[in-house]
Amino acid sequence: MQEDIINLKNQAIAQISGAGDAGELEELRAAYLGRNGKFTLLVKKIKEIPPEKRKEFGITLNESKIAIENIISDKKHELLKSLTEKREWFDLTIPGVKPNLGHLHPLTQVLSEVKQIFNYLGYQVADGPEIETDYYNFEALNIPKDHPARDTQMTFYIDGGGILRTQTSAMQGRVMEKMKPPFRVLVPGRCFRYEQVDASHGFEFWQVEGFVVDENIHLTNLFGTIDYVLRELFGKEIKLRYATTNFPFVEPGVDTYMSCTICGGRGCSFCKGTGWSEIMPAGMIHPNVLKTAGIDTKKWNGFAFAIGLSRIVNLRYQIKDLRTLTTPDLRILKQF
Amino acid sequence: MLIPLSWLKEYVDIKLPLKELMWKMTEAGLTCEATKKVGDEVVLDVEVTANRPDWMSILGVAREIAAIQGLRVREPKIKELPAQTAKFPIDLVPNFDLFERWSAIAIKGIEIKASPKWLSERIKQMGHTPINNVIDITNYVMYELGIPMHAFDYDEMSGQIMTPGLSKGGEKFTSVDGDSYTLPKDAIIINDSERLIDLAGIKGGLNSGIKDSTKNILLHVTIDNPVLVRRASIALGLRSDASAIYERGPDKGGVVNALKRAVNLILDIAGGVIASEMIDIKKEKFEPWELALSFKKLDDVLGIRIDPSEVIKILSKLNLSPKKSKDGVTCLIPTYRGDIKIEEDLVEEVARIYGYNKFPKTLPKGQVTSIKIPYYFDDSFHKKIKQIMTASGYSEAIPLSLLSKASLEKFGINSKNAVKITNPVSLEYEYMRPSLLPGLLEGIKINNEGLVQLFEIDKTYPEENYKLAAVAKGLTFRQLKGTVDLIFGRLGSEDFEIEFETDKDYFHPSKSGTIKIGREKVGEFGELTPILLSKLEIKDTVLCFEFDVAALQKHAKIKDYKDLAANPSQVEDLTLIFPPKTRIGEVAKVIEETPLVQDCDLTGTYKGSYTFRIWYQDSKKNLTDKEVEESRNKILKEIKNKFGGKLKS
Repeated sequence: MQEDIINLKNQAIAQISGAGDAGELEELRAAYLGRNGKFTLLVKKIKEIPPEKRKEFGITLNESKIAIENIISDKKHELLKSLTEKREWFDLTIPGVKPNLGHLHPLTQVLSEVKQIFNYLGYQVADGPEIETDYYNFEALNIPKDHPARDTQMTFYIDGGGILRTQTSAMQGRVMEKMKPPFRVLVPGRCFRYEQVDASHGFEFWQVEGFVVDENIHLTNLFGTIDYVLRELFGKEIKLRYATTNFPFVEPGVDTYMSCTICGGRGCSFCKGTGWSEIMPAGMIHPNVLKTAGIDTKKWNGFAFAIGLSRIVNLRYQIKDLRTLTTPDLRILKQF
Repeated sequence: MLIPLSWLKEYVDIKLPLKELMWKMTEAGLTCEATKKVGDEVVLDVEVTANRPDWMSILGVAREIAAIQGLRVREPKIKELPAQTAKFPIDLVPNFDLFERWSAIAIKGIEIKASPKWLSERIKQMGHTPINNVIDITNYVMYELGIPMHAFDYDEMSGQIMTPGLSKGGEKFTSVDGDSYTLPKDAIIINDSERLIDLAGIKGGLNSGIKDSTKNILLHVTIDNPVLVRRASIALGLRSDASAIYERGPDKGGVVNALKRAVNLILDIAGGVIASEMIDIKKEKFEPWELALSFKKLDDVLGIRIDPSEVIKILSKLNLSPKKSKDGVTCLIPTYRGDIKIEEDLVEEVARIYGYNKFPKTLPKGQVTSIKIPYYFDDSFHKKIKQIMTASGYSEAIPLSLLSKASLEKFGINSKNAVKITNPVSLEYEYMRPSLLPGLLEGIKINNEGLVQLFEIDKTYPEENYKLAAVAKGLTFRQLKGTVDLIFGRLGSEDFEIEFETDKDYFHPSKSGTIKIGREKVGEFGELTPILLSKLEIKDTVLCFEFDVAALQKHAKIKDYKDLAANPSQVEDLTLIFPPKTRIGEVAKVIEETPLVQDCDLTGTYKGSYTFRIWYQDSKKNLTDKEVEESRNKILKEIKNKFGGKLKS
């Protein structure tokens, strides 16, 4: 019987060594070690062995099985190694088959980034009406009727009353009169101004208003916020500079200029040849605005800013014509 | 506002290189980004904000540039007037609601002729055509000092009386430059004893204007009600240099000085003698006012500490005459700085001259509130939908939200129900869209590709509800329906029902329907009518849907996770045939609801036969062939009873 085992083992080793691939190897493993394999059948014969020889039989059988298992394992590794090391021609340059995925609009993509940046700074997003009242769009913002500042925000009027908001700042009064400070608010949305359409003007555009009311808010915080946000959006290396301006709802008023990304600061039609692009008007909230909303200006103050979202998208992607964004042309949309 | 450089240099030296000066001006709030050439003269083009009437003058700009450079401004030397040597009667009827201040003086014996070269050159540099010596001088002084004035022909003023009042509307008026206007209601006008002679703050009348033959004049300055001037000039479409100054509110304290300046020049250039006293009718004294600024306030707003001596230096440069008080300064605000009214205004003055670009930049330290703000908007649901749409091959478009009446009519939408703009930029953009489909269909029209899939989530009007709309050409109905099924499935609201009709005329009467969840309508889907497509000049079949996002969101659920079954499922394909008009969607539902059926897909259709792939499974044990057979028989029985369907033989 011992010899039978040895013979069987040698036969197995010979066959395994000659196996050509993983499938053949698996078949051999089943043939010798599987449920109905030759070694498994031998185990069942142990009852036929005289009791005094059973121990030796058992040991030999077991050792042989282990030896075969090891050889199978070695052979498997050898086969995998030769498969791995085998060199063959394989064209990696062949164009892939693309899944038919749609594209998100660049306004959505950039707005999503803007929201994420402001979320990190603790701002909550508000959504307000586009059909607005004169009160929230102007009067609550310290722009009474007949104020010359209205000239820069020519307004569409709705038949039957109301206007189309000219700025998302219209949400300042709405939020402030309903909630006690502190708060940090971001209002993205469509705005409308009566303007003739050309490459750099549209009567519909997207703006993101932001405002903060809290104790101890300073002009330095406004500069810090603008600086942080624009560098997050456009990269650390952009150049920024600030100038005084006048909007009736801020005092002091701030205008932000960013080095024009379209011409790299050399001057182009987009930046009117100055190399700088006006990008984020802002300021400390005028005490009249806070008072009108019923906020105690002895305790609270704040800052506000507006980001021209359409403009930021244009600067980000070097889009020279504002009308590009509202044209539902797949040749445009597929680029984003 | 145009600023000829040589004129500016009469009042202030320019030490900085021009480009640097222009940026410094911009930084200080007097935006100056461009220059132009008029003849040999370099002219700065400055943008003047609505709060600064003083910058509507060369002297005002010179004062700012002096402050920026730390230099002194050279105010023009205005001589006292010579004694009155003639006596022209003149009666000005006060009306402080219309003219807060009204100053006038008569001059006898002038000679109207062309201006000397230096004067006509200045007028040309300001972008205007010289007219004659007297008119050019009034304009010159307005540009120099920012105070508009007007000269009348004294002999043309009937009754030597001027009565200000408001127009009733409809009056005919011919201006000094010969143009005719019909006046709106409530423009400020001046009448003499017989006629309307002046449209105050906007234009003088032809009847009382300076002519070549004029010998005697009345020169006057009025401080007009800015609101009334603004309304009238907008109504007439007449915006002039003067109306731009009036709207901003000119220097009420500088009126008499400006008149003296003009009289000096007229006597020098056009001759004549003083023929009346300096009439000055004023509501109040119009003198400089005091305004205090505390250093604490300054520090609180700015977030930095500027040394008090620096603060005083800055305020002095701006002619604000700061006097140190216990914990701050008290300024004396000159009358030409009507924009400085509250402490915050002084804070800005200090900050802008100190230089915004010197400030450190810090983030706010305050608290982040856990309370939700009013109008709080969580866009995660929109994001989820956008993911499904782009994964389904639809690209996002964001067209304009205004459209034309003609466009509404093509869709059979009554324009009476749409929001109308009373002053549209053009009739192309007169209405607010009640549906997202017109804008997206424009995309179908302009894209020549065979396969076009577009979607949008945005507001429709007047409700400003968010809608989700999609349009597609080059897809089969089942492909569009697959995205609809996917949206409802992913949002956990598979139990929607389809009604075989819509209330929209632009949807195909038989190939479109309405989707409802429970009783709530979510929207419509299907094919658009050939009539609409032909009106839009679209040749292809277009499939679309438009859903109410709030309705979708209301019924969206988070689906419970089902444990994976340990045992394998059994799969088989059944090919079934049905009588015509069978609703295959309902067949699939019946199959899915049969006991032991885990899932079912329609894998193929061919000439009225439908192949369903069916997965059978029992989570507790392996199914026997017999159990599968029982389940299959149940399916076939139900299908026979409910739909008259059977296995294809």
